[in-house]
Amino acid sequence: MMRMNLVLLVGLVLSALYLVNVQYESRHLFSELDRARALAHKLEVENERLQVEKRAQATSARIESLAKSRLHMRAANPAITTYVTYTPSAADASDARAPANPLSVGRVK
Amino acid sequence: MSRSITYNSSPLLASPTPVWRSKFIVAAIALAFVGLAGRAVYIQVIENDFFQRQGEVRFARTLALPANRGRILDRNGVILASSIPVPSIWAIPEDVDRDPANLKKLAKLLGMSLVDLNKKLHDEDKTFVWLKRQVDESAGKEIEALKIKGVYQRKEYKRQYPEGEAAAHVVGFTNVEDLGQEGMELTFNTELGGRNGSRRVIKDRMGRVVEAVGEQIAPVDGRDLQLSIDSKVQFFAYQTLKEAVLLHKAKAGSVVVLDVQTGEVLALANYPSYVPDKRQNLSGEQLRNRALTDSFEPGSTMKPFIIGLAMDTGRVTAQTAIQTAPGRMSIGNSTISDSHPHSMLSVTEVIQKSSNVGTVKIAMQMPAREMWEMFSSVGFGQKPQVPFPGAVSGRLRPYKNWRPIEQATMSYGYGLSVSLMQLAHAYTVFGREGDLVPLSMLKVSVPLVGQPVFKGKVARDVRHMLHLVTGPGGTAPKAQTMGYSVGGKTGTAHKQEGRGYASKRYRGVFAGLAPIDAPRIAVAVMIDEPSNGKYFGGDTAAPVFSKTVQQTLRVLGIAPDMTVVPQVVSELVEESF
Repeated sequence: MMRMNLVLLVGLVLSALYLVNVQYESRHLFSELDRARALAHKLEVENERLQVEKRAQATSARIESLAKSRLHMRAANPAITTYVTYTPSAADASDARAPANPLSVGRVK
Repeated sequence: MSRSITYNSSPLLASPTPVWRSKFIVAAIALAFVGLAGRAVYIQVIENDFFQRQGEVRFARTLALPANRGRILDRNGVILASSIPVPSIWAIPEDVDRDPANLKKLAKLLGMSLVDLNKKLHDEDKTFVWLKRQVDESAGKEIEALKIKGVYQRKEYKRQYPEGEAAAHVVGFTNVEDLGQEGMELTFNTELGGRNGSRRVIKDRMGRVVEAVGEQIAPVDGRDLQLSIDSKVQFFAYQTLKEAVLLHKAKAGSVVVLDVQTGEVLALANYPSYVPDKRQNLSGEQLRNRALTDSFEPGSTMKPFIIGLAMDTGRVTAQTAIQTAPGRMSIGNSTISDSHPHSMLSVTEVIQKSSNVGTVKIAMQMPAREMWEMFSSVGFGQKPQVPFPGAVSGRLRPYKNWRPIEQATMSYGYGLSVSLMQLAHAYTVFGREGDLVPLSMLKVSVPLVGQPVFKGKVARDVRHMLHLVTGPGGTAPKAQTMGYSVGGKTGTAHKQEGRGYASKRYRGVFAGLAPIDAPRIAVAVMIDEPSNGKYFGGDTAAPVFSKTVQQTLRVLGIAPDMTVVPQVVSELVEESF
């Protein structure tokens, strides 16, 4: 009887210590998780910021002024455009897989 | 095992000290335990709530989870406005380390003078002072590097507008609290603004979150708003308008581009405009979204509606001859005249030559009520259904009080007023089969059914007349554009000044459609007070129309419907020696 009690007591003490340990672990992991979440949010914000910056660098106004001043280009007009008729063929089966608009932006959720 | 020895009573063990002392100690310890138990009961049961609360105050924190304001996108998903957290600089004046060299650097980074900075830090009683809200990311980093004691940063959302002044009037802007103040930002403020969430956590002494308590209220991000605007069309429209306003030394100008098939607003630009990020020295002139908030007398651009109504009711046909000689006519005490007298004109030519006399003669055959009903059904005198703050309805008086002279002047666009948006919208009637679809600032995905105004044939006939206006012998050959057939009507109106009309101040207007056989877009242009010699709508507004149509149709990927002489060098011819 006595030995049984001793075993139980040791078991209880060990279990109690283990509980403390688990609690500590859980808080530790939780704070890790929290930090990871914060980082994810920060990166998301950074992504959004870079998207906007990219867009700001690629506005029509900027492109037009650069194309005109630095590259000496001029706006296209029908007189200098060759129009081809578009016929769907096997060739665009491969094109179809490419994203429709490579510049399209998506918000990371 | 046990022996019967009674140790208690052994004389050897008899204590020299009296028994009551040990009993007293036992009693004292027992009393202490009772005290402890009492205290425990007090803490755990009686005042439990108070201690729980006090404990929580010390380690539990409620963290706000800020919601993102939704972005504003154009019809192709291009960002027109987005919120980005940027650093805001604040300080506790009492704690600030007043090293002059550092403060000078700080003032420079904040873009303010040292005097201003010191003024902000002057009041030492305050525990919180904004030094500058929403500074650049790079400036924030540099300020952080200065490591000035008592100066801190906090992240705040700031709205970014990559398109700048070109789309300023459409998109609008938000204030420092990220709340909409103008344009779409204001109209859709509720939808764009999300709902902040919150969560309760336990923090350790290092400030790390170690445990979440209770339910977390997740933030609800604002909805992204997709407008009907096409950022490229918007830019080209703004660009050409700006050039024209500067060329003609005009006071202002507006241009509206509508999709005829869906009623979507593809572009809406005004000049002068402003850069939404830099609003320090804004004037009301710059802020005004003239295309919607300014109404004006549309002048001759009204004539096609009168002719359309007359043809729709079978009073005239396109070939009916109207005598306009000698270029003047009297109604009551007033005289109506043409700027260039003509003789016998067909109805088509009345539009082509923009004859006031001809139009009035046709208009006077009709009862006032019919004219009023037609004006109303194309949207004049009513607020356009675009959800813009401050959109005006223009002026269209009830037909019962029209005097004959008023009915006559209204037929060529005086005595009623419209906004440029209403004018462009009304012209879509001719671009369609005579029906009117509602305007939309948001992308339209479902096909629309319009409200019929004119018969399909009438719309087609008027379209043909509008085409002739831009041809040789018309009033606006400058509206022509390479590769695409266009049609439209000029208007040049004297500006109202007090009760009369200013003799030297005009407004040049052009409203038209392209391509004319199967219109895709309706464009209306208004140039306010051109003062560089030319003032006719055909000279000031029509070239803007021409360039805008050219660029818009190209951007929309519409093939030219007119043959042009190609200037493409397809093969390189080798030079001979």
